[in-house]
Amino acid sequence: MKLISKILVAITVLLSFTSCEAQIKNAKTETVKIYGNCDKCKNKIEKAGNIKSIAKVTWDDKTQIATLIYDAKKNNQDEILKRIALVGYDSDKFLAPDKTYSKLDKCCQYDRPKKEIVKTETPKTEMTGMTMTENQEASQLKPIFDNYFTLKDALVKTDGNTASAKAKELISAINAVKMETLKMDEHMAWMKVVANLKEDAEHISDTKDAGHQRDHFATLSKSVYELIKVSKQDTPTYFQHCPMANDGKGADWLSKENTIKNPYFGSMMLSCGKTVETIK
Amino acid sequence: MKNEKIKNILLLPTAIIVLFLSQSVFAQKIVRYDLYVRDTIVTFGDKPKHAIAVNGQIPMPTLTFTEGDIAEIYVHNELNEETSMHWHGLFLPNQYDGVPNLTQMPIKPHTTFLYKFPIIQHGTHWYHSHTGLQEQIGMYGSFIMNKRADDPTFRKGIDDLPTVPIILSEWTDMKPENVHRMLHNASDWFAIQKGTTQSYAEAIKSGNLKTKVTNEWKRMNAMDVSDVYYNKFLINGQNESQLSQFKSGDKVRLRISNAGASTYFWLTYAGGKITVVANDGNDVEPVEVDRLIVAVSETYDVIVTIPANKTAYEFLATSEDRTKSASVYIGEGVKQLTEPLPKLKYFDGMKMMNGMMKMNGDLDDMGMSMSYNQMDMNVVMYPEITGEAKPKTDKMDGMKMTEDDYNSNKLSDIVTLNYAMLKSPTKTTLPKDAPIRELKFELTGNMNRYVWSLDNKVVSETDKILIKKGENVRITIYNGSMMRHPMHLHGHDFRIINGQGDYAPLKNIIDIMPMETDVLEFNANVEGDWFFHCHILYHMMSGMGRVFTYENQAPNPLIPNPRLAQRKLFADDRKFHFMGENDFATNGNDGEAMYQSTRWSIGTEWRLGYNDHHGYETETHIGRYIGKMQWIMPFIGFDWRYRKMEDGEIEKNLFGQESTKDIRSVFSAGINYTLPMLIVAQAEVFTDGNLRLQFERKDIPVSKRLRMSLMWNTDKEYMAGLRYIIKRNIGITTHYDSDMGIGFGASFNY
Repeated sequence: MKLISKILVAITVLLSFTSCEAQIKNAKTETVKIYGNCDKCKNKIEKAGNIKSIAKVTWDDKTQIATLIYDAKKNNQDEILKRIALVGYDSDKFLAPDKTYSKLDKCCQYDRPKKEIVKTETPKTEMTGMTMTENQEASQLKPIFDNYFTLKDALVKTDGNTASAKAKELISAINAVKMETLKMDEHMAWMKVVANLKEDAEHISDTKDAGHQRDHFATLSKSVYELIKVSKQDTPTYFQHCPMANDGKGADWLSKENTIKNPYFGSMMLSCGKTVETIK
Repeated sequence: MKNEKIKNILLLPTAIIVLFLSQSVFAQKIVRYDLYVRDTIVTFGDKPKHAIAVNGQIPMPTLTFTEGDIAEIYVHNELNEETSMHWHGLFLPNQYDGVPNLTQMPIKPHTTFLYKFPIIQHGTHWYHSHTGLQEQIGMYGSFIMNKRADDPTFRKGIDDLPTVPIILSEWTDMKPENVHRMLHNASDWFAIQKGTTQSYAEAIKSGNLKTKVTNEWKRMNAMDVSDVYYNKFLINGQNESQLSQFKSGDKVRLRISNAGASTYFWLTYAGGKITVVANDGNDVEPVEVDRLIVAVSETYDVIVTIPANKTAYEFLATSEDRTKSASVYIGEGVKQLTEPLPKLKYFDGMKMMNGMMKMNGDLDDMGMSMSYNQMDMNVVMYPEITGEAKPKTDKMDGMKMTEDDYNSNKLSDIVTLNYAMLKSPTKTTLPKDAPIRELKFELTGNMNRYVWSLDNKVVSETDKILIKKGENVRITIYNGSMMRHPMHLHGHDFRIINGQGDYAPLKNIIDIMPMETDVLEFNANVEGDWFFHCHILYHMMSGMGRVFTYENQAPNPLIPNPRLAQRKLFADDRKFHFMGENDFATNGNDGEAMYQSTRWSIGTEWRLGYNDHHGYETETHIGRYIGKMQWIMPFIGFDWRYRKMEDGEIEKNLFGQESTKDIRSVFSAGINYTLPMLIVAQAEVFTDGNLRLQFERKDIPVSKRLRMSLMWNTDKEYMAGLRYIIKRNIGITTHYDSDMGIGFGASFNY
C-alpha cells in the first residue's frame, strides 16, 4: 500500500511539474473588453482565443472583460482579438463579420457596440428600419413589400425558420399600416387583399415546414401583386411565373431581380420560371 | 589652336543634341527609374530566408507613368546570377520585352541594362523577373500608367478617384528550386502541410470510401486546386495592413495585380459590393459583384466604398485553396472583418473529378459547354454556394448534371464575377479586311509527373509559330488537363469572344478551367518573338508555352547568336530533376534514386543486406515515358546481384526458370505500365533468358501521414512496407521482405 501511495505522489508531483512546464513563456498579461452575454459566449470566446502554451483567454460574462495572457514573442493582442471576432464577438479593435454574428445563438446576440456600422446600402435585408426612415415620402406599404422579398429569399433557400420569422415581421408590418393615410387607389387595393394577406402570413409564421409555407406563399404572392401594381416603386419589380409549382398548377411570385430564383423548389429547380411582367 | 578646333567640332553636335532634347521634352516627358537588384534576407514566413529585393524593397517599387511618356528604366543587376525584367501586359518593341534568351540575352551579374520604350497605353499592369524562379522570391512590382486628363475615354467618378496599387503575392520558406523539384517528384508533402492528403482513413471517416477507390481506379492521385503550400500570403508585402487615410463615404480605387507565382486569390470586402471597372489594364463597364477570383498574373481595378464612420473595412485576399489569407483594412478606426471563406469540400471535388474522368485519361464534359469561367466545376467544393459537406449527396449519382448545377451565380445569391460579365465601354473590333489565321490548342498535362504542355508538347519540342503581320489571329483553346491555367500573351491584348459582340473585353491573360473552350483573337501588329505561356511559374518552367514569331521579321540586335539563345531557352524545360530515398532498416538498406525529365527517366533501386546471405542487389532502368498520360514506359536496364547461396540451393521462378549463381549480372529490356489503382506492372526480359513480371504499388495514403507499399513478382519475391512521414525528409518505416525478413528503420528522402 505504501508503495502505491508513494508512486501516486510521485506521479502527481511529476504531473504538476509538467503542467508548470506547459505555462506560457514570455508571458504578457492584458485586460480588454469583449462583447458577449452568457456562459455559452464564454466557452466560444475562450476556445477561439486560446492556443496551447501560447495564449490563454479568461472572459468574465458579467464585466465582459477578458484577461489575455500570451507569449509576447509568438502572439499579440490583435491576433487574439481577431480570432475571437471571427467566431462572432466584437471588441474595440475588431468587429465580427455580420453573418457570423447573426449565426450566434439567441442568448449570445449581444447589442453590438458600434451602431453606426449599420450599412445604408443594403435595403433588401434586415435593415427595414433604416429604409423606412430614409423614404418617409414613400408609400406606407413599402415595409410590406420589403418583408415580402426577404420572406421570398428565405424560401428560395428553403429556410423554414427564417421564413417563419420573416412572416411574423410581415404581420406586424401589416398591422402598422394606417389605412386612412393611404392614397385612394392604394386604399382600394388594400381593402381588397388585407384579410387574405394576414391569413397567409399567419399560416407561414405558424409553421417551419417550407412545403406548407410555399402553399400559402402562392396566394400571398397574388395579394402582394395586387398591391404593388398600384403602389409607386423606385426600382422595377418583376412578376415571375413557374408552371411546375403548386403541383403543376403553376404559381407566381415577385422579385427585385430579373434573374429567376424560384422560391417554390429551393436548389432543386432554382432557375425554373420566367418573368411575365415588369412592374415599374 | 588645335584644342579650340576640337571644341568647335564638339560644340556642333552638342547643340544639336540639346536642341533635340528640348524639343522632345515639349513633346514627351522622359521618366527615369533606376532599379538596383540585390540579394537580401527576409522573414515573411517563420524563419529568415534568402530573397531578392529591388531598391531594398519587396515588392519592387511601383513605377508610375502617364500615357505619352517615355520610360527609361535602368536595371542594375547586383546579384551573382543572371536576371531580366518583363513588363507584363505592355505594348513595346520586342527587344525590351524582357524574356531572357528570347528577346534579349540575360542581364549578366554586375551589369546594367536599359529598358527604353514609349508608353502608348494606360491601365494597371505589373512587372517581374522572367528569369528562373526569381519571381517567387520578391521580384514583382506594380506598373501603373495613368490616362491623360484630356483622354476621351476619361471616366468621371472612376478615373479621378484616389487610387492605391495593390499587389498580391505569396511566400514559401522553401527554396523555389526545391519546390519545383518536389513538384516533379510527386511529393505529397505540400498536401500534408495543407491537410489535403485525402487518405483512405479520412475517406472512410467521412463516408467517401467509394469515391476514393474510384478515384484511384481512374489512376488519379488526391486532387487539389493548387500545387504548393505557402507560409504566408501578402498584400503589398504585408500580411495585414491598414489604409487609414480614408474616411466614411470615400470611394477608393484599388489597382490590383496578382503577382503570385502559383496562387489564385479570392477577393471579398466587408463593406459591401465590389465594383469592377477594369481588367488587365483595360476599362470595362462597371459591374457590381460580391466577390471575384483573380487568376495568376491578372490585374483588376475595383472600387470599394467605406460605408460608416470610424470603421476600417477588411479587404480580404484568400488563396484559392483557402489555407490562408491576407487583409488590408480600408478606413480608420475599429476593424470590421469579413467572413472567411469556408474550407473546401475535397471529397465532393474528388467525386466531381471521378465523374469527369474517362478511363483513358481524357476528360468528359457530359455534353455541357463550358467557357469563360461561367461554370465552375469547383462550386461543388464551396460550402458557401452548395452547402456544408454531407456524407451522402443526393444528386451526383445517377442524375444528369446540367450547366446550371455549376453556375455559382444561379445557385446562390452571392454574385461571383466571370468573364462573360466583362464588357468594354468602347468598340474593340479588329480590322475587317485582314486575313484570318485560325489556331487551335489543347492544354495538356498530368499531375502525377508534373508535365504541363500544349498539345502534349513542351516549348523545347516545338518550333516557333509563324504568323504574318497584319493578319487577325484567332486562337481556340480547350483545356483537357485537370488544372486551370492562366494563359498569357506577350506584347498584345486579345479580345475574348464572350458574347459581348463588338464590345468584347480586351485582356492579355485568360484563365481557362478544365474542360473549358475559349476563343480569343488579336491583330498581329508588332513584329518580334512573343511568348505565349501559362503564367503559373512552375508550369511555365516545365515548358507549358509556345513562341509566336512574325514571318520575315528583322533580326533582334540583342540576340547576337540565335542558336545559343534557343538552346538556353530550351534548357528550362529540358531540366532533369533528382530524387532519392534510402531506408536504413534493421534488415538492410533499401532505396532508390531517380533522375527524370519531361520524357526520360533514369532510375536505380537497391537492396543491400548486412551479410552475404541476405545479399546485395541493384537494378538500373533507363526509360522513356510515352503518351499524354505517361502511363507507359519502355526501358532498358542492368541488374547486378551478389548473394551467397547454400550448396545446391536453386531458386526457381514461376516460369520454372532457374537461377543458381551467387553473382548475377545481366542486361534487360522491359516495359512499365500503370494499371488502375495506380499499380505499376513491369515486364522485363534479361540477357540470361529469364523473364520477370512484377506488380508494385507505392505510397498508398492509408492515413494523413501513413503510406503503404506493396510488391510481388514472378521470382517469388514480395514486399510489404509502411512508412510514417515525420518531416519533409524523414520517415519511420517497417517492412517485410521475402529475401531479408522483417525490418524496422528510418527512411530519408530528398
